[in-house]
Amino acid sequence: MINYLSLLILQGATDSRVSSAWDGIKQPDLSKFLVIAALLFIIGVMGVLVRRNIIVIFMSIELILNAANLNFIAFSRYLFNTGSPNAIAGQVFTVFIIVVAAAEAAIGLGIVIALYRNRETIWVDEIDLLKW
Amino acid sequence: MLQDNLLTILILLPTVGALALIGHGLFWKRENDYRWIALLFSVITFALSLLLLTRVGENSDAAFRFEQKTLWIGAIGSYYHLGVDGMSLWLVILTTLLVPVSILSSWNSIKKRALSFYVFMLILESAMIGVFVSLDLLIFYLFFEASLVPMFFMIGIWGGERRIYAATKFFIYTAVGSLLMLVGIIALYYIHQQQAGAGTFDYLTLLDALKSGRVVITESSAFWIFLAFAFAFCIKVPLWPLHTWLPDAHTEAPTAGSVILAGVLLKMGTYGLLRFNLGLMPEMARRFAPYFVVLAIIGIIYGALVAMVQPDVKRLVAYSSVSHMGFVVLGIFSFTEQGMQGALYQMLNHGVSTGALFLLVGMIYDRRHTRQISDFGGLATPMPWFSTFFVIASLSSIGLPFLNGFVGEFLILLGTWLSTGFSYNWVATMIAATGVIWAAVYMLWMLQRVVFGRIRHGENARLSDLNAREVGLLIPLLILMLVMGVYPRPFLSRSRESVVAVQQRVTKSTGAAGSFSVEVQENKQR
Amino acid sequence: MFLLLQANTTELYSLRDLMLIAPELILTVCGCVALVMEVVLPYRKSKWTAYFALVSIGLAAASLASLYFANRDLFPLDGFYGMLRIDGFAILFKAIFLIGAALTVAVSMRYLDVEGEQHGEYYALVLFATVGMMFLACGFDLISLYISLELMALTFYVLVAFTKREKRSNEAAMKYFLLGAFSSGILLYGMSLLYGVAGSTNLGEIGRSIGVALQPSVNELGMMTSGIPLRPLILLGVIALSAGLFFKISAVPFHMWAPDAYEGAPTPVTAFLSTGSKAASFALYLRIFTEALGGLRGTALDWAPLVAIVAAITILVGNWAAVTQENSKRLLAYSSISNAGYVLLGLVAGNSYGYIGIVIYLLVYTLMNIGAFGIIISLRRRGIIGDNVNDMAGLAQKAPGMAAMMAIFMLSLGGLPATGGFIGKYFLFGGLLQRGRLEEKSWYYWLAAWAIINTVVSFYYYVRFIKVMYLGERVADDRPLALSPALRAALVVSLIGVIIIGIYPQPFIDLAQKLITPLTAGALAFR
Repeated sequence: MINYLSLLILQGATDSRVSSAWDGIKQPDLSKFLVIAALLFIIGVMGVLVRRNIIVIFMSIELILNAANLNFIAFSRYLFNTGSPNAIAGQVFTVFIIVVAAAEAAIGLGIVIALYRNRETIWVDEIDLLKW
Repeated sequence: MLQDNLLTILILLPTVGALALIGHGLFWKRENDYRWIALLFSVITFALSLLLLTRVGENSDAAFRFEQKTLWIGAIGSYYHLGVDGMSLWLVILTTLLVPVSILSSWNSIKKRALSFYVFMLILESAMIGVFVSLDLLIFYLFFEASLVPMFFMIGIWGGERRIYAATKFFIYTAVGSLLMLVGIIALYYIHQQQAGAGTFDYLTLLDALKSGRVVITESSAFWIFLAFAFAFCIKVPLWPLHTWLPDAHTEAPTAGSVILAGVLLKMGTYGLLRFNLGLMPEMARRFAPYFVVLAIIGIIYGALVAMVQPDVKRLVAYSSVSHMGFVVLGIFSFTEQGMQGALYQMLNHGVSTGALFLLVGMIYDRRHTRQISDFGGLATPMPWFSTFFVIASLSSIGLPFLNGFVGEFLILLGTWLSTGFSYNWVATMIAATGVIWAAVYMLWMLQRVVFGRIRHGENARLSDLNAREVGLLIPLLILMLVMGVYPRPFLSRSRESVVAVQQRVTKSTGAAGSFSVEVQENKQR
Repeated sequence: MFLLLQANTTELYSLRDLMLIAPELILTVCGCVALVMEVVLPYRKSKWTAYFALVSIGLAAASLASLYFANRDLFPLDGFYGMLRIDGFAILFKAIFLIGAALTVAVSMRYLDVEGEQHGEYYALVLFATVGMMFLACGFDLISLYISLELMALTFYVLVAFTKREKRSNEAAMKYFLLGAFSSGILLYGMSLLYGVAGSTNLGEIGRSIGVALQPSVNELGMMTSGIPLRPLILLGVIALSAGLFFKISAVPFHMWAPDAYEGAPTPVTAFLSTGSKAASFALYLRIFTEALGGLRGTALDWAPLVAIVAAITILVGNWAAVTQENSKRLLAYSSISNAGYVLLGLVAGNSYGYIGIVIYLLVYTLMNIGAFGIIISLRRRGIIGDNVNDMAGLAQKAPGMAAMMAIFMLSLGGLPATGGFIGKYFLFGGLLQRGRLEEKSWYYWLAAWAIINTVVSFYYYVRFIKVMYLGERVADDRPLALSPALRAALVVSLIGVIIIGIYPQPFIDLAQKLITPLTAGALAFR
């Protein structure tokens, strides 16, 4: 599905010649996907480092995972265009990541609930029993 | 059979004794048996160690006897290689002699956790014998480190007030040194691997390769490797200014621990200097000799002066060790036959007389529970036996003629006088000789305040004299003091060739870096 | 993946592939059975699950051994179209994991009784975590490696939180989970870049592609440089991968989770976490950095200096932070951090000495660390937490045997000769010196010297345990230790292992050398 979509994005607008900027948006090449993924990655890392709510931190981690997903898809598409026989691997990887992320979310939220039962807080600043 | 595996048996027998003790402790738990079992094993070990004399005869050559060589870790070319020559022979026998003596000395004074005490003592004996007979650098390092742990426990569990501080200090100091030595050992291994194809930890292989020039240690690596080894050994000796662990360790250790520490553990340092630093890196030894001589002389004088002002008898004896070991280092770095023989002899003397002094201090401590000089005085009246032994041991430590200390110190001073290894050797001799005078001052002053005079404290008048066990354990040491003072031939003639071999190696070797010999000559001209 | 597409679609895998993962299959099946047993058995009989887990680990070990003896001349064997590679490296690490898992199960039983959390799923989780580790050791594709890493990590999140009424356990699990998931994300990002650069997820193909990409003359992937210069991408990928892996092995500056997680987790889990999980992460690290990125050694993108700096800082911080700790689990956590630094040295060395060092050290470390934690477990009794260093006071009088074992484990951790720890450290440092001599670069020597100096610091805090146990007069409490036959057996096995490796390491070294050699060849093939 994603494969198909990216195919559309990459090939759908080959005929139009409006302006180079518009062109770039309509015909995104690999680098643009990588830049977006990198931005997602940085936002995710910043979120983990800056935010103090466990749930928000967890969402930031999901952003990082999705940055990797986007990378995989973009590379997979690119490799497909260059005729590499291995292009499908990236998409397979993405599916695996999504599945694992779901499992991770289940366990993570389970831990959050256990913690909340005992401590009644989900702010990392208040979770300070263990300190050196 | 027995003769061929003698060294292995000597190393293993005390450990077997320790295991037997543990087994006995597990099944019978009879407190009084422990010391008997420990004594039994250590005495058998001593008896067996005398068999070493059969093959290392008088005037025998420098070759190693009772050699054993089995592959240990093939992947890194490490062998279980043992052997004994004139240099290590007497140190092994000194070890096996002092262990039963110290076990006897702890007969009644070790009440707390007696089983562990004797177990550690026997394990320590194994390790100490191992140090003196191993010819593989890695095995040597192994025993060197292994001797550390039981001693740590002996000081730490059965020591005095500040025992934990003293034990930790002892452990950390020695561990730092021996780790540096390990670096040096590994460096030698790689140098041999680089130049001769295969790496080796074998002392004899290394020595042959270096002698024949097949393997040459470059100047800069030799510099660092020498320092790495020397650092480890100088901590152990201990050479001024690395001596600070020693007074603490000695003062806090139980009597038996002090005896073993002074009698044997310190000798590992000087033995290592003789065997490895001089044997493997003679050029560097020559280059460093002036520094070692200066440090040794500082140690002699410093130890003596500090000993003089000590209020505690045991601490006084501990500082006198610093002074005496300074003599040994001085003798080693004189690079003359007399000086080095004297150094070796002085190691034995120090083991015997300082050992005896520590035993005597321990005996009086058992009775009075104090070691302050000011608490004693006039002990000669209530304790004639004790006083006699104490005076003789002190005189031997001073170096009175016809007692053992004289022979060693005289040879060392003679060797220093004749030395060509460094300039101003006569100045060095003069200053070192004053060390003997200082020794007389602090020892006699201490004797005067402890043994002679009138009784100042009432309790001292009621002290009981030495009992048969205590006299019995001192007698062998006393006999040794006299014999070694009057008739040193059997000792010196056995070690002569081995010592001369090292001495020749140091003085004759030109080595790769010829600049060193030039430097030595420059020193002479200056 | 590539081969998968070419394969006959009706036959996705063969019986031979299944044979290759027989030990993992056995553990998986037994783990599922253990889950069922938990439901069927009444609470007071849930210990049966533990024995069942031990038996299944034994079965897996037997099948691993038969796998080794049947195929040892055929290594390396590829299975599942290159997703897995069974070679000596994999077998060695799997053996270490199985030993670790068996010891962990043995030391857990009494502890869970004391905690009142004796549940069968604990043992099932241990088995699943072991499966994850074992796949990590033999995975040869980024996908299989990632899945097995997550299998291991997810089970560990649950295990750390297992004592769910315990606040410290919750908190430790939370921190471990957040940072673990974070590091997985970073790792994954690195993997995605690596995939983009190499065009494959297979480690062998990645290695080949990178080798090709780095050769300026042969510009086979030159078309990829349209807008994407390869080198920065590789660099970024390597850095992200390294960061993720540094998290997993708790190397500084990504170590902050370890002390918290170790202190808060149930002690047997801490033992497993610090040995099995760490060894598995190192297996992953070694696989990726030798098979896929080995070609970067000696080029402009050499990762060795980065790893060397991290190792140096890790050793420093781990050792010095451990000195001031009062909680023994936390102390051992910092010691574990410093040990990760030592093991990294083997990777920096990157020669057969270094790899032998890594394997031997991880094996010995597994034994001695589980041993040490086993003693701490025995101090946990009803009403006594027992995880303070001072809780060991007077252990020598109360339980001389346990005290002696703890002393030997500590001395081995410090690397005293005649213990296994010495042999491991010897090879790690020796490998470094050898490499330095080969490349004639002095920083290898300085690194080794640095590690040795810091080893002395480590003596200080290891000896502290001995001091507390032996030298003090005070006895912490006079209640008997919580010992069970299984715990005792585990401790004795660990002790014997540590001493045998210390005194007669030859057979272990031979085995490690034989099985590790292909890895060395792979790492040096590009040079």
